[in-house]
Amino acid sequence: MVVGRLAGVLAVASVTLLVSLPASAQVRPPKPPDGPRDPAPRLPDGTPNLGRTDPSKGYWAPTQYQDYTAVLVDPKEMPYQPWAKALVDERKASASLLDPQGFCLPPAGPRLMTTPYPLEIVQLPKRIFIIYEGNTHTFREIYMDGRPHPPADTLAPTWKGHSIGRWEGDTLVVDVVGFNEGTWLDMGGKPHTDKMHIVERFTRLDLWTLRYEATIDDPETYTQPWTVRFNIGWDPNGELQEYVCQENNRWLSTATEAVGAKP
Amino acid sequence: MRVTRVLLALVISLLPLAGPALAHHSFAAEFDAAQRVTLTGVVTKVEWTNPHVWFWVNVKDEATGKIVNWGGEMGSPNALQRQGWTHNMMQAGMVVTFTGSRAKDGGNRVSTNSVTVNGKKLGGASSQGVTP
Repeated sequence: MVVGRLAGVLAVASVTLLVSLPASAQVRPPKPPDGPRDPAPRLPDGTPNLGRTDPSKGYWAPTQYQDYTAVLVDPKEMPYQPWAKALVDERKASASLLDPQGFCLPPAGPRLMTTPYPLEIVQLPKRIFIIYEGNTHTFREIYMDGRPHPPADTLAPTWKGHSIGRWEGDTLVVDVVGFNEGTWLDMGGKPHTDKMHIVERFTRLDLWTLRYEATIDDPETYTQPWTVRFNIGWDPNGELQEYVCQENNRWLSTATEAVGAKP
Repeated sequence: MRVTRVLLALVISLLPLAGPALAHHSFAAEFDAAQRVTLTGVVTKVEWTNPHVWFWVNVKDEATGKIVNWGGEMGSPNALQRQGWTHNMMQAGMVVTFTGSRAKDGGNRVSTNSVTVNGKKLGGASSQGVTP
């Protein structure tokens, strides 16, 4: 009884603590004002504006996910091929010791949208840039001029792949191929091959909310395509900062020594 | 009375886990959440650098009287600045108290949840609780 009451008081106390602590380090967007949300802004030509409304400030503040369990919408379980499941289990058992991101190498696909650093989407005629502050201070260029992907045998594999985009109504649909095999798709260690094909869908639901969806198709790694979907919040006062990951990465020597290698 | 003290201890032990977090590498690959330490000493060096700010503190071992140099890892400069830090807030020669989780290899390194500098308690933007 006493123990029960104590547990109850403790639960209340810890919940209060969680709520009352200031939100800070991980980029967190401010809570939008109550009441009806301002609609998604548009550019002068009517295209949805996925970026700033005030030219001098504003960015998207993603939520970091250890893996995609919370945001996997289809199928309900990760459809691993047996080798991929074994590799993920091994990487989890090592507490993600050799995650390439720890060595300041860039992520790919949906992981770019789940780093603990802000990002900006900049729309220009015939192309869109996404600028990522962190992990690892990188950018993507999405071609909007109607070009196709280069033929597969002429496309050199790259970390972030080759991105072509188009508008489907108010949704920006981006098709990405041409990945190398250097990245993990999340910190949990999901692998992929250079056959991976990703379709991303960006929809600004209102001023404050970017809906992001990605479908990953890589039959050598996964028995069927899988889709993640989540929202990213807008911080109207955000400004990107410098983040040069390679500057003083002590983890490089800590991790390499942990596996008995020389840095 | 005793219940109050137990409650207080438990609540305090929950505090760091509720703190904000940021990471570019896995927490559990380097640190052990079960080895909580709180240390006080004199700052010998601050590396205000990416991907993690590191600071080094001479701490006196109460048992042996020996001075041991400990390293504290925090989040990146941009993360710390967004929660109120400035790059010159902590400097060599200052006395600081910091709390965090010790390196699992037994090294004198800490993933820092909070630092008290000049009487002001600041978050450390540890990756604890956010990464595997």
